[in-house]
Amino acid sequence: MKRNHKATLEFGGGGSGYGVGGSGNSSSVVVKGECSTMSSAKAKMWGEEHEAGGMDELLGALGYKVRSSDMADVAQKLEELEMVMGTAQEDGISHLACDTVHYDPTDLYGWVQRMLTELNNSPNDPTEFFGNHQIPNIDFENQSPVFNDDSEYDLRAIPGMAAYPQIEPDSESSQKRVRSSSVGSDSIPVLPPSPSASNVSESTRPVVLDDSQEAGVRLVHTLMACAEAVQQNNLKLADALVKHVGVLATSQAGAMRKVATYFAQALARRIYRIYPDEALDSSFSDMLHMHFYESSPYLKFAHFTANQAILEAFATANRVHVIDFGLKQGMQWPALIQALALRSGGPPKFRLTGIGPPQPDNTDALQQVGWKLAQLAETIGVQFEFRGYVCNSLADLDPTHLETRPGEAVAVNSVLELHRTLARPGAVEKVLSTIKAIKPQIVTIVEQEANHNGLVFLDRFSEALHYYSSLFDSLEGSAAGLTPPSQDLIMSELYLGRQICNVVACEESERVERHETLAQWRTRMVSAGFDPVRLGSNAFKQASMLLALFAGGEGYRVEESNGCLMLGWHTRPLIATSAWKIPATES
Amino acid sequence: MVQLEEQEKRPKFFINDQLDILIEILKRLDGPSLGVAACVCRLWCTLIQNDDSLWEHLCFRHVSVPLPPSVRPVVVALGGYKRLYMGCVRPVLSRLADSERVRKRVWTRHEVELSLSLFCIDSYERLGGSGRLNGDASASSLMFLCKPVNV
Repeated sequence: MKRNHKATLEFGGGGSGYGVGGSGNSSSVVVKGECSTMSSAKAKMWGEEHEAGGMDELLGALGYKVRSSDMADVAQKLEELEMVMGTAQEDGISHLACDTVHYDPTDLYGWVQRMLTELNNSPNDPTEFFGNHQIPNIDFENQSPVFNDDSEYDLRAIPGMAAYPQIEPDSESSQKRVRSSSVGSDSIPVLPPSPSASNVSESTRPVVLDDSQEAGVRLVHTLMACAEAVQQNNLKLADALVKHVGVLATSQAGAMRKVATYFAQALARRIYRIYPDEALDSSFSDMLHMHFYESSPYLKFAHFTANQAILEAFATANRVHVIDFGLKQGMQWPALIQALALRSGGPPKFRLTGIGPPQPDNTDALQQVGWKLAQLAETIGVQFEFRGYVCNSLADLDPTHLETRPGEAVAVNSVLELHRTLARPGAVEKVLSTIKAIKPQIVTIVEQEANHNGLVFLDRFSEALHYYSSLFDSLEGSAAGLTPPSQDLIMSELYLGRQICNVVACEESERVERHETLAQWRTRMVSAGFDPVRLGSNAFKQASMLLALFAGGEGYRVEESNGCLMLGWHTRPLIATSAWKIPATES
Repeated sequence: MVQLEEQEKRPKFFINDQLDILIEILKRLDGPSLGVAACVCRLWCTLIQNDDSLWEHLCFRHVSVPLPPSVRPVVVALGGYKRLYMGCVRPVLSRLADSERVRKRVWTRHEVELSLSLFCIDSYERLGGSGRLNGDASASSLMFLCKPVNV
């Protein structure tokens, strides 16, 4: 209690002094909301001499329309909170009583609300995607660096209650973060890691954030607040916040800036209901795909690991048939054709069925790719046959269309294609039953390792933010030191940006980027009747070696998970390969 | 005077007349030295540029397991050992050597397979029309091998 008031006194004095000094400047140096809170608490203590018509005069002079009674309310809640925390003995929050706790002044109202409701209810975790409720620690005495921030604010856009109480407190759930001093790369303020990473001892270390980190943190908060506003259909607020994100993003550099820009654009589309034109030239998207293929190891990893599984399944077959759910430029198949050519016992007869979307200009893109592959196969002496199959959606596939022949070993390959079928109900089940009907030796599935298909928009948004931040970070890491950034990098980012737009701005059948995690796909495949096939150590070694070749690729990690391989950036898996077969009893 | 005559009668050994010996010697050189050797004279230059067996030896001399005979026709068909070396083996070797700080390491089957796969993809792209915006037909999928290592 004493300490709180003392700090308030010092701080309030400093704060209002700062504020008065600040208002004299032409570039309106903004005094943060919490400063006003502190000074109002001080006002309350010294007697409410400033109250006039509800609006605080002192702050009114600075341009804020804040009620002193609200701020007094906040101060009172603080006192209550302090009392409760000091005597908390229950499990999980008893550390509050004994360890030193400092306050985060950037948002008191919402945070206090939360703490109170939490302490009043049982201390169980309310739907938090941020694991713990660690109190962020900023040592009061070291506040000054934070207040040197000269960024200008539209006050309403501040994601916090302190300045503009109409904003719902729940929008500030994102305030709960462990601001550990070991924030990884400067480019991305790390969204809270798994709960195991944050512990009590870390939270008691006072931490001072420098400006760029602070701005980055604020950027993420604003994005989350905007998404929440969109979810609650509060479009006016969302609009203000989205513009604010644009302002904040310019203060960042590198990957974080790009990610924030793409997400802000997508949010803006969602707010204004300007849906992206899906009927884009598929040769353009193929081109972006190629650049992504070249600039990062994800697709190469996918191809190499899937090929290894297919190769092992085809070890003794004389005639093989591969069905590729998304042929694009056919970059996966030269390596497989070559590996088959070098197979002991000689190459089998190789048949490829490539599936692709219809082209707007009626060119037969599939046939062109098939022709190129045929040329290659002929050069290295593998008998090759190609068939292209055009369809709008994989659910339109029929087993009879695929013309499987008796005596040939069939493989089904899907790289980043299967999640699109989740956009329409029943489609994925139909596709899986089609696959089962053609009785493949092996089914290889590569998918993004993220859940972007949750029911709640905000959950999807935050998952996507985390996922694409890691992805952009990895691209940045690989391209580090190259200025101007290569065309590959720019195009890859555009490729990912379009995915972001789809995840955030689209709905219903237009939202095709419905990524799901490996665990979810596993459940789906097992319940559809498939058995998992373990990807062997060969695949793992090849993948590891591939990664070693990438410059700036020290951050990439190959992980094995129950027979499936995942490629990730630092601790975050980003893409997963799995292989499946039909149980022997059924075929 | 007799000694002089004997010396003149003794045939002088001229390496350029003994191409098979020359090739044997050149086979034992490493990549950069081979490049230097190619600058010695026209004969050597022609030899080094055209004799693919030199490059074959260079590519796979450190392979722990002997390669199956089917490899050669495939490599030749895809563009030859010189291209394999310049495009794939040399960058792969140097990149892996950087990461493991071992020179003249022994190649395992996996590295061979990886190099061959990358080589094949590269040849496929050279067939043209790989979908790039500017129609650039140069080997782009191997560019990641050539990018400067982040120091």
